[in-house]
This record gives sequence, C-alpha cells and structure tokens, in this order.
Amino acid sequence: MNARAAVGFEPAVEAIGLRKHFGPIHAVDGIDLAFTPGRIYGLLGPNGSGKTTLIRLLAGLARPSGGEARILGLTMPDRPTLGKVGYMPQAEALYPDLSVGENIGFFAALQGVRGSAAIDRSLDLVELGSRKGAPVLELSGGMRRRLSLAVTLVHEPPVLFLDEPTVGVDPALRVQFWGHFRKLADAGTTILVASHVMDEADRCDELVFVRAGRVIARGTGADLRSTAGTDNLETAFLRFAGLDDAGRPLDAGRGPDPEAAP
Amino acid sequence: MNPRRVAAVARRIAEGFRRDRRSLALLVVAPLVIVALLGWVLRDQKSTVVDLAVVNEAGAIGSRITDALTTATANAPNGVSLVETDESEAVARDRIRNGQIDLALVLPSTLLSDVAAGHQPTLTVITAGTDPAAEGGAFASLQSVLGTVASTIAPPGSAPIIPKIEHQTVYLSPDADQVDVLAPVFLGLFAYFFVFILTGISFLRERVGGTLERLLATPVTRAEIVLGYAIGFSVFATLQVLILLGYVLGRIDVPTIGPVGAFTIGLGVQSAGNPAIAFLVALLMAVGAVNLGIYLSTFARTELQVLQFIPIVIVPQGLLGGIFWPIDRLPDILQAIAHVLPVTYAVDALREVMLKGGDLGSSAVQTDLLVLAGIAVLFVLLGAFTIKREVA
Repeated sequence: MNARAAVGFEPAVEAIGLRKHFGPIHAVDGIDLAFTPGRIYGLLGPNGSGKTTLIRLLAGLARPSGGEARILGLTMPDRPTLGKVGYMPQAEALYPDLSVGENIGFFAALQGVRGSAAIDRSLDLVELGSRKGAPVLELSGGMRRRLSLAVTLVHEPPVLFLDEPTVGVDPALRVQFWGHFRKLADAGTTILVASHVMDEADRCDELVFVRAGRVIARGTGADLRSTAGTDNLETAFLRFAGLDDAGRPLDAGRGPDPEAAP
Repeated sequence: MNPRRVAAVARRIAEGFRRDRRSLALLVVAPLVIVALLGWVLRDQKSTVVDLAVVNEAGAIGSRITDALTTATANAPNGVSLVETDESEAVARDRIRNGQIDLALVLPSTLLSDVAAGHQPTLTVITAGTDPAAEGGAFASLQSVLGTVASTIAPPGSAPIIPKIEHQTVYLSPDADQVDVLAPVFLGLFAYFFVFILTGISFLRERVGGTLERLLATPVTRAEIVLGYAIGFSVFATLQVLILLGYVLGRIDVPTIGPVGAFTIGLGVQSAGNPAIAFLVALLMAVGAVNLGIYLSTFARTELQVLQFIPIVIVPQGLLGGIFWPIDRLPDILQAIAHVLPVTYAVDALREVMLKGGDLGSSAVQTDLLVLAGIAVLFVLLGAFTIKREVA
C-alpha cells in the first residue's frame, strides 16, 4: 500500500516500511505513516514500544535497517533537511554551565539563525525572557523543559518532533505548551508528539498507537474509541493491543502471558 | 551509628562494582600492568656499555695511557669500551653530538710536565650533558677504569698518580641538574594529559547529557563539531602551555619580605633553542589529545571511566616515552611500542630544541613535528569517525 496515494498530496512526514533492528530486537518493525502538514499527531504507546526510535529515524538521527523515512519529500538521514526539523529529545540536552541565553544562542547559531530577535521571541514564548542570564544549573525542572522547547523552536521549523515534551511539567504549564503547539499547527507546522500519557491524546488531531515496534491503530481519538467500543482511550489501546483490561492477552490460543499471570 | 546502615552503604559500593565490571577489572589490572611494565623497563634495560673515545694530546705518555686503557677496557669489564682515538677535541665533540660516542677523554699536552713537576694532572672528560643521570653513571665507570690504569702504569714501588678530572659537556652546563633536563620534556606530557582528560569528560557529558543528540539533529557536520572542539580546547591548551613554558623558562627571585623568607618563582631553565618551536610541539600534542579524548569518550559511560583511561593512555607514555630512560635501552618489544607513542616524538623534539638548540632546519625536529602532525590528524579522523558511528 502506498501511503502517499492514500493521503493524496505531499505529506510533511512519511514512513514507508520503516524498520530498525538492534541485533535481535526489532525496535521499529515495519511502520507506514504519512502526516498531513499543519496537524498534530500523537504517538502513543507504553515504554519500550519504539516511540523514541521511530522519532530518531524520522529525524534522521538513526539509519533505518529497512524502509524509508521522508521529511518534506526528502529521504532521511539528510543533513540539510535537519534545518527544517525541530527535535526535542526526551533528555534535558542542555549545557548546565551555560546561561539560558547562551544555550539557545548556541543551537540558534548551528541552525543558522542570525540576530537575537528569534531567540527573544522563542524565550518569550516559554516565558523565560526574563531569565536569559541565569545559568541552566539554577533553573527548576519545569523551566529547563521550557528552555528545551524554546531551543527546539528557535529556527521556526515546519516539522516538529517532540519526545515526551510534557514529562515533569506541571498541569498549568502543560496547558500552555499545548496552546503553543496548537498555534504552531494552525500556522502550518506539522507536529509529532510522543507520549505515554493518554489524557494528552485528545489534544492531538490524530493518534498513532504503537506497540512492539508496530502501529496497532491510528485515527482520531473519537474514531479509536468507537472502533474499540469504549469511551476510555487507555482501554481502547489495550483492545487494539489484544489485551484485556488488566493487560492480559485476550487471545486464549497464545496462552497466558507469564509476566502478567498472577 | 547503626551497623545496618553502614552495611547498606558498603553493600551499595559492592553492588556498584558488580555492575561496573570494568572498574573492578581496572582496579586490579591497571596497577598490575603498570608495576609489570616498570619492572620490565628497569630489569631488562639493555646493558649499557659506554662508548669512549680518547683524544691524545700528551704524546708518548698519552699513548702509554691509551694502551693501558685499551687493555683495561677489553670486553668492557667496567661497562666502558674504548672505541676509538680521535685526533682532536673538536672531532670528539662532533662525534658526541652525532651520538656516535658517549664520552671523550682528553689527555692534555701538559700531562707529562705536570707529572714531572709533581702536580696532580688534570684530564678532561666530555659528555653530551642532556642526561645527567646516565652520564653520571658513565662518568663513575670511567673513573674506576682510570684508577686501574693509573696503578698499571705507575712505576713499580711508587704510588699511582690519580689525576683530577674536569667534566665538560657539549650541551648545557656540566652543573645542569635533573630539573634542567626533565622540565622541558614534561611540557609535552602535561600538554597531552590535562587536555585529554578535559576533552574526554567534556565530550562524554555531551553524549550522556543528550546535547550531542540535539547537536546532530541540526545541520552541523561532524567535521565542524570536531574542528570546533579542537579550536575551543586549543585556546585553553595554548594558555596552559604558555603558562607552563613561562614557569619552566622564567625565574623571579622574591626577596625576604617580613616573616616570609626569600623564594623563587619559576625554574629558570635555559632553553638552547627557540621556545616558539617547543610551544608548537606542545600545541600539536594538545590538538591530538583533544581528538583522542573525543574518540575514547565513546568507550566510557561515566566520568569515572574516562579517568580510568589514565593508566592505559598516559602512564605507559610517561614510562616509555623516553623521559626517564633512553628509548634505545628499552627491551625490543617496548622500543617498538615507544615508537608509536606521540609522547616519544614530543620528548625527542623538545630535547632537540630546548637542550640541544635544534631549530626547524634540524632533520630530527622536522621528523618529530611531521610524526606529531600525522598523529594529530589520525586522532582527528578517529574522533570524527566515532561521532558518525553514533548516528548510524
């Protein structure tokens, strides 16, 4: 099946039979995706389901074992295309000794951003404009997360990959973050947010459920709920994964999961 | 004091070691390797026969002494071998400079008249002056040989005449001490050591903290990262080398002020050659060390593991690089190892420049600089290569 034909126009982000193997572990095991520009996609799945590996493949940070990842029609890894991608890693990924301004200035310079206007705009967006001179070492966890987002946005990339951007972020700030994401999407940015927090899922335009390196379901939150016959996304995920409400396999032929068995 | 809590802390350490097998292995293996290496170097040093030349300006009596010396040094019982007689002191000095002989004994033209007049005659012994420890040993061996010779040629029944010996050196002054000789050489090792550790830890943090990942998600190239790192650290390596060089070469005598006694800042070592070339050598070492640090940081997961590279990377270079023992006295296998170590070439170049006054025209200095530049380029490639591997 050709993902492009299904969408009907040039997708901003595309995965075609994408695979990544680490020895015997199939972290990403044949994923096809096509993301429409200007939409927010939620990548949902338990820890170890391959979310981060998928994002690293899409962002050109890892070479696929098979298949292809494309950003704006260009096959990744492609260095120049990285200028059009914003990647917010799960790790803090900031220089603790440097100040807020020095951190964002450094990555802005690598992205070819000139002048301080873009830096100030990006810092104001996450409300760190007044802390420009503060060393990252002295920032709280939430502030560091905000700075990390500002660094990701400083070159105004048309494609954003955010790996668990709201981990450790308090609820009020989380609402602000999602407000930013929505504004950016409305302006045409394509955003992929990886999360294992299901209550954030409804803020996305479309959801992708992954488990063991494979896409087990995709669609809007409403679609997925009705298909699974539940009004709870968590339960819907378990249904698509073939598990009962306690996380045990539904398929009796496969026998009980030794890990989950009482 | 609760013994259970103490036990819990102790158990935590043991569990840490169990998980970090490499640290455990290093705890045992590293000192063993170093002690074994030291034992090997000290025990199996090649027997050092000192090659002696005699310059006879004393005529017939000189010939008698030379003949007696030839007999006394046959098969080098005292570790001294008479290899030649040179027609003049100048020739002998040239041959020391070229490394063909270790010692020259000058029998002066005044020898016979001094003896006849009942004065104690003075003989001159010339050494290179670049290795006081080894030369001191050679000097002592020669003195004992001369004692034998004196009693051989003394007329029966009369006491042997023991000559006075004046020590001259081709390079430096005969009063030069170990500091004069070792200090310049340590420049090379230190430039290497500290820069290596700092870059290794710095790049490890880059990997572990996720900033390298973020870096690689920008259009930056590997070459740009490695070059930027090299320039950034080289600025500080330059500063370090300048300060160290200043301390080695400079000397400020601080007079007594109040209760503080007079003291000296700086070692006041005389450099025979241009310190700028010494600086260039140290800088090349530093650039190599930056990239070696980047490369080896791949093999470390924690900062502790970076420090564990010290006994593997730094100590052998200190032992085998020719700082303490001349490389040609090392066992053959260790000689082969010494010839691939950057410190070996840095030490040689620094000796050549600072002790012997070599400049860029000297072929030894040229070779050393070329090899050091080659090693630096190799490490740059290794550093860049490991960053690529991270992405693949």
